[in-house]
Formats: sequence, C-alpha cells, structure tokens
Amino acid sequence: MSVAPAAAPGAPAVSGADLLVVDAVTCQFGGVTAVNAVSFAVGRGELFGLIGPNGAGKTTLFNLITGLTAPGGGHLRFRGEDITGLPPHRVAERGIARTFQNVRLFGELSALDNVMIARHVRTRSGLVGGVLGLGAARREERETRERATALLDLVGLADRPEERARNFAYGDQRRLEIARALALEPELLLLDEPAAGMNAGEKRALSDLIRSVRARLSLTVLLIEHYVPLVMNLCDRIAVLNFGQLIALGPPALVQKHPAVVEAYLGDGA
Amino acid sequence: MASFFATYDFLLVSMVLAAVLALTLYLPLMAGQLSVASPGFYALGGYIAAIMSTKIFPPGPGLYPVSLVLLEMAVAAVVSGALGLAVGVPALRLRGIFLALATIAFVQILGVVALNLQITGGAVGIFGIPQPFANPIEYMWLAVPLLLVSMLFVARLERTRTGRALVALREDELAAAAMGVNPTYHKVLAFTTSAVLAGAVGAVSAHFINTWNSRQGTFDTSVNLMAFVLVGGSRTFVGPVVGGLVLTALPEALRGLAGVDVLPGWLASFLRDGRLIIFGVLIAIGTVFFPHGLITPGLLRRLGRGRARAR
Repeated sequence: MSVAPAAAPGAPAVSGADLLVVDAVTCQFGGVTAVNAVSFAVGRGELFGLIGPNGAGKTTLFNLITGLTAPGGGHLRFRGEDITGLPPHRVAERGIARTFQNVRLFGELSALDNVMIARHVRTRSGLVGGVLGLGAARREERETRERATALLDLVGLADRPEERARNFAYGDQRRLEIARALALEPELLLLDEPAAGMNAGEKRALSDLIRSVRARLSLTVLLIEHYVPLVMNLCDRIAVLNFGQLIALGPPALVQKHPAVVEAYLGDGA
Repeated sequence: MASFFATYDFLLVSMVLAAVLALTLYLPLMAGQLSVASPGFYALGGYIAAIMSTKIFPPGPGLYPVSLVLLEMAVAAVVSGALGLAVGVPALRLRGIFLALATIAFVQILGVVALNLQITGGAVGIFGIPQPFANPIEYMWLAVPLLLVSMLFVARLERTRTGRALVALREDELAAAAMGVNPTYHKVLAFTTSAVLAGAVGAVSAHFINTWNSRQGTFDTSVNLMAFVLVGGSRTFVGPVVGGLVLTALPEALRGLAGVDVLPGWLASFLRDGRLIIFGVLIAIGTVFFPHGLITPGLLRRLGRGRARAR
C-alpha cells in the first residue's frame, strides 16, 4: 500500500487479483486535459474510493471506464481483457454497471420497468419469441420480473414497483439507480456520488446497503463521493484526483494525511 | 346499417388502413426515432402488389384470388424489410431532426425513381389493378385482421425484453447503452419492423385504390401519419390507432356537419371547404396542449381503474 507520488504514475503492478486496471489513461476535451495519465488497479472484491475536488476528472474517469467517452491514450483492462474503446453496451455486457452523478433513470417508466430493463444483457429472448410469448421467453419474463422485484426489495423500494421513476424522492431515485445497476449482475459496480442529496440518516443506511450488497453479491465497488466520512469508513483504498492527475493512492488513514491531498482540499495555506 | 356501410365503405377501409400506417410511424418512435420513411415502404409495397397482379399473375375472368393478394403482401413485406434494413443501418446513425430529414429525402427519392421507371408505369402509374372482392367494404377482411395483428404485436412488444430496450432508448439513450442495450441494433430493428408492416399495407392499398402511381406514399402521407401519431398519442400504441381512425374520418364528418340545414351559410361552406384548415389547427392545438397526444398511458390507466371499480 504505497502512496503513489504525482510525478511517477508508472505502470501498476498487474496481479491476478486485479479486476480493473487503469493504465496511463488520458482524456482531453479541447485544450483541457480532464484525465492525465492516470494509473491504478482495483483488486477483486475491493471497495475503492475515488475522491478529489470538483472538476478533478472523477466522473470523466467513470465515463472512460464505461465507454461513454473514448480515451485519448492509455488502456483499460477488465478481468485481464482490454476494454479500451468498447462501446458502452459492450462494456456493460462484460459486467460493469454504473450509476450517474445526475441520476439518469427512465423517468416516465415504472420503478420495476427501470430495473427490468437492466436485465437486458442477462436475458436472451428476441423479438419473435417475446411477442409470441413462447415458453422460454415467458419463463424468462417471469424470472426477470421476480429478480427485479427482489432488487427493489433490497434497496427498500418494494412497496411502489408501479410508481413512475421521476415521482420518487431524490434519495429514493439514487437507490433505484443502484437497484437498476445491480440488475446487470455486475462484477464491478461504479457509483457516482451515491450519497448526494441524502440526509445523515440516509447516508448511513446507504453505507450499510453498499457494504451488504458487496458482501452478498461478491461485488467490487468503485465509488466517487464528496462526503469524506462516508468514503473514509467505507473504502479499503482511496485514490485522490486533482486537475486530472492522480495525487495519492492508499488506505484511507494514509491518504487523509498525505500532504498533496491536504493541499488540494485546503489550498497550500500560504 | 347496410346503407351506412354502402355509403362509407371506402372511408371505413381507409380508416383502418390509416390506423395500421400510423403504427408504422409509432414503431421507430418507441425507440425515440422520428422517422417518416414508412410512406416510402408503403409506396414500394403498393408497386410490388400492382406489378405482381397485373404483370406476373395476369388477371383472368372473375375475382382475383385473395390468396395471391396475401402472397403479394408477404413479398411486399419481405422486400420492404430488406430495403428497410439497408436504409436503416446508415440512416439511424443520425439523430433527431436529421433522421427525420433523411427519411423525408428517402421518400422523395423513391417517388422520383417510381416516376421515371418503366416498370412502375412512369407518371401514369399502374392502373386496373384486379379486385379480389366484389364490394369495397369486403376489403375489411384484409384490413381489420392486419390492424388487429399489428396492434397485438405492438401491445405484446411493449411487454417484452426487446420492447423495453426500445422504450429505454427513447427515455435516455445513454443510460440505456450503459445498461447494456445496443442502441443501433434496436433502432434498426424498430425501423425494419416498421418497413415490413408499411410494405404489407401498401400491397392491400394498391388493390383497394385500384391504381398506383407516384402520388401514393408521398411527403403528404408522412405529414398525415405524423398528425395521426401526434394528435392520437405517441406514448402508447392506442394513440396512433385512434388518431388514424379519427383523423381519417374527420374530413368526412365535417362535410356531413356542413350539410345540416340550420347552420348559417358561411359556416357550412367553411366546414365543407375549410376542412384542411380545421385539420391543421387541430394538429397545432394538439401538439401545444397535449404534447404526448390525446391518448396517454396515464389516461389508459385511469380508464382501466374506472372499469375495475365499476365491476
């Protein structure tokens, strides 16, 4: 658990336990370098935090990992396979699911439909089988509905499956988004500020939820969060981004004291 | 009753066929894609039926066999579907208004091609398309099952994995892709299905109208279909069907209204001659005050609940 200095991003040690390897990934928008040669590896089963001031490139990094944005340089490996430049649906197929910073539910659809849609890559029935209601398609449909209901139950929204997603309170929408992401049966779950807009009690409940689903579904979680106490007591390791650069990486206690992190968050105190 | 059917036979069949055509616009719209290409496939289907029935199976004495009409419908559906696939793959890379413009161009191109080919009869078109029925109203035997099957298809589709993927794309394409839905595949699928259905409708219409030329399935049809969907409703398949039925009947209803004696002369003549204006105003009012159309999923839910309570 070394704390990587900013100047030497270097290739991360690739071990068999690494689920996701981010290798010198760079992304530029016009003249702005949003993510600058960032490298780190997330181990299987790890709960990995990503923090940094606004505009540090955290969400851009999520977009790069999930294929929404193509990197300008570097490589992304998932389970040892190069996923650099794959379109989003291919990335999702491989077992990476995410939530969005500014909640992107299918607002006009019911909570249950939102979750059922994300079973897409884990189900097979096609146009004809589905429309004709053939045996296999019908079984699959029933199973999809059961699993989606179970996931709504898991995040505590089982009482309103038919309610339209946009009618849910903000905190509930965030939990619904987690249920939707889990419906993909991901190996890696990316949560983009899941606690935003939640009160202290909801944040505690969310921490418990993240911990429990990770244990129950043997997930690896990559988490962006601004609320530092949540990250500190939840994550095994934390990476700190500032102006697109990785400035620190390690267990919470070490990162918290790292001079570059203190400087990034508090200014250089001159 | 018999005289009602005899007077309005042409209108009734037109209404049903319009409802099916409205569904062809609804299918890509399920995936959030505004495509007005279906009049093109409708025209193509009509030409296929016209050519097959006048040149390949030359009409003998008596009625034209219905089985051959069904065969023409199948051929029209397959050819339209193939062209739909070929056009859809490049066209559906375009988004929003650009897709709409590209599909308008597609309809125009097909029209010009039809106007200039020998086999389509040039500007004259193909006339004397043989009749499978003695009476126009009997076309209901083809039109109504076609409408019911397509309604059943779309209704079922909305509750399947594929249908959910389409609706997810409409709601938020980026989020849908992040949930594993392949956007291009599903958009092309919806577009091709729409082409198949439009081709089949065209084949029936060619027999029904008796002549087929480059004035069938033009941009005017595109605008009509858009009105059916926009006024009827774009968020449930019931909307386009009702829109197609009602808006096709509306000009005739207005004409009937103009015949009522007590109306002042100016109003009667406005109802008779100004129906296109009334039509246009309805579309404008509809889209402003009912952006999702008159028939919405919420309305259907309320109706369903009301019926459950009544029981």
